[in-house]
Amino acid sequence: MRLLLGAGLEPILKTENLWKVYRSGQVELAALRGVSVEVLPGEFISIMGPSGCGKSTLLHVIGGLARATSGRVLLDGNDLTQMSDAARTLLRRHKVGFVFQRFNLLPTLDAYHNIALAQHIHGNGFDPHRFEAVVGMLGLKERLHHKPAELSGGEQQRVALARAIISEPKIVLADEPTGNLDTKSSESVLVLLRQLNRDLGQTIVMITHNPEAATYGDRVLHMRDGMVVNGLPTH
Amino acid sequence: MIGHLVLRNAAHRPVRTAITVIAVAIEVTLVIIVVGLTSGLLLDTAKRTEGVGADIMVQPPSASVFMAFSGAPMPVSIGKKLAQLEYVQAVAPVLVQFNSVNGLDLVYGIQPDTFRQVSNGFVFEAGRDLADPNDILVDDVYARAKKVQVGQTLHVLEHDFHVAGIIEHGKGARLFVLMSTLQEMSGARDKASIFFLKCDRSDHTAAAIDEVSQLLPRYEVRPLKDYMSQITSSSLPGLDIFINVMIGIAVGIGFLVTFLSMYTTIIERTREIGVLKSLGASKGYIVEIILSETGVLCLGGVVVGIGLSYVMRIVLLRLFPALSILITLRWICLAGVIALLGGLLGAGYPAWLASRKDPVEALAYE
Repeated sequence: MRLLLGAGLEPILKTENLWKVYRSGQVELAALRGVSVEVLPGEFISIMGPSGCGKSTLLHVIGGLARATSGRVLLDGNDLTQMSDAARTLLRRHKVGFVFQRFNLLPTLDAYHNIALAQHIHGNGFDPHRFEAVVGMLGLKERLHHKPAELSGGEQQRVALARAIISEPKIVLADEPTGNLDTKSSESVLVLLRQLNRDLGQTIVMITHNPEAATYGDRVLHMRDGMVVNGLPTH
Repeated sequence: MIGHLVLRNAAHRPVRTAITVIAVAIEVTLVIIVVGLTSGLLLDTAKRTEGVGADIMVQPPSASVFMAFSGAPMPVSIGKKLAQLEYVQAVAPVLVQFNSVNGLDLVYGIQPDTFRQVSNGFVFEAGRDLADPNDILVDDVYARAKKVQVGQTLHVLEHDFHVAGIIEHGKGARLFVLMSTLQEMSGARDKASIFFLKCDRSDHTAAAIDEVSQLLPRYEVRPLKDYMSQITSSSLPGLDIFINVMIGIAVGIGFLVTFLSMYTTIIERTREIGVLKSLGASKGYIVEIILSETGVLCLGGVVVGIGLSYVMRIVLLRLFPALSILITLRWICLAGVIALLGGLLGAGYPAWLASRKDPVEALAYE
């Protein structure tokens, strides 16, 4: 099903008849089957569906981590499907921020350096003002010199969020950001995501199993068997 | 930032870091000590030969600069002809034999009178000069190393000698016997390996060399003043090859250990590599991290290796006082460069592998 939203605004993300097929010998598995979605700038989209429906695959393809088998992915006007690996890496560096279920912080670095690393990779050098602003917004000032093993799950996810947004990406892709958190931590992370979206206009695409978490977004897309089957506003 | 990440990664696995550093240190030590031993041996030999005090040495045609490898093909009677030359003041024939029992030593068979004329004689620390056919003189370094005293019996060249005296080192060999005795033992009757010549004045050396060359046109005539510069690793057959083989083995050790260390590192950090790629790190960035970490480990190994080399030198000289081990700045730098290059080569494949990891698979790695 193809969903069109609003008029006049160019989508920041657009997929057209997106397919992703995994091949293993003679066996083919279609993880995405003709997915076409559009995300406008400043939208907060939740994607829900059962395990194996292709949510994470969709996130990986639109984030440039994986290449589509066919179809198109336009991210901020750039066609990922026509890009080389190096070009997708460059695009990801400047336009995409990822948040993962398992936080994926580097265990040997403290919170400060985990966040600063993203700025270093971005290539524009360390911006202390931006760093202070992000760290302050996410309540991490007192925890900066602790390694991930010394942080709670919620704190780790906030560090991961800080890392994702420190370089002002066009879009944040969150793969089950509350999947490994308790209720209270989940809520605080979701509140922060909504705050980023409402206050800073950050475009967010979030995958979640949790219907309650999904309501934090503006719209929920439901996926099943590699297809988007339903897309409804949350309120 | 990369430096911080690299140091943190190295500290995160202290045992692996330590093993890699130690392996590189062993590599560096091996190179420095092997080259040091060979250079030391050569330099020591050259210094002691120069220390005889002669101005010129005459050897048979095509003789090696290393006297022990030339045999004894010259008749002693040549010495009389050499003594008649205008600028030659004194001539000392010497028969050189190589002793490989209980160590590796040169033995000089000398005529005490003629040798004294050329060398200004020995400085005795104990005992007396050669008198009996079975007398032997040992230098103080040998005496200390082998715990030899005057009056002792010393088994050299399959013969029992009586230690007549202990002399100050630096006059050619460490062991001296009567030439006639050595000629009998080696079946080289009336033969000498080398003639040491003393000129009437040091500025007549060149003229004396001309005289000798005219008298003995095909013979090797060398000024002893430049002897040290002539002793290089390429003068001794096979020594260059030996050194290169040892360096090759050392590089191999460093290469393999670094390869294994970095390979296990990238396997262990597969998910981290996926995270870096998700942040937009390029292949070059990933390679830079791996190679930087290798560089740091190799550098640590080089520093430890240099220290270990000096410690090894102290230990070896204590165990074998007659040894000479020359550690030069040139070879310290070369050993460091060799270790670094070997390590970076070893890390090349793991770094390349890491850069090519699929980010989605890497992120899913447990």
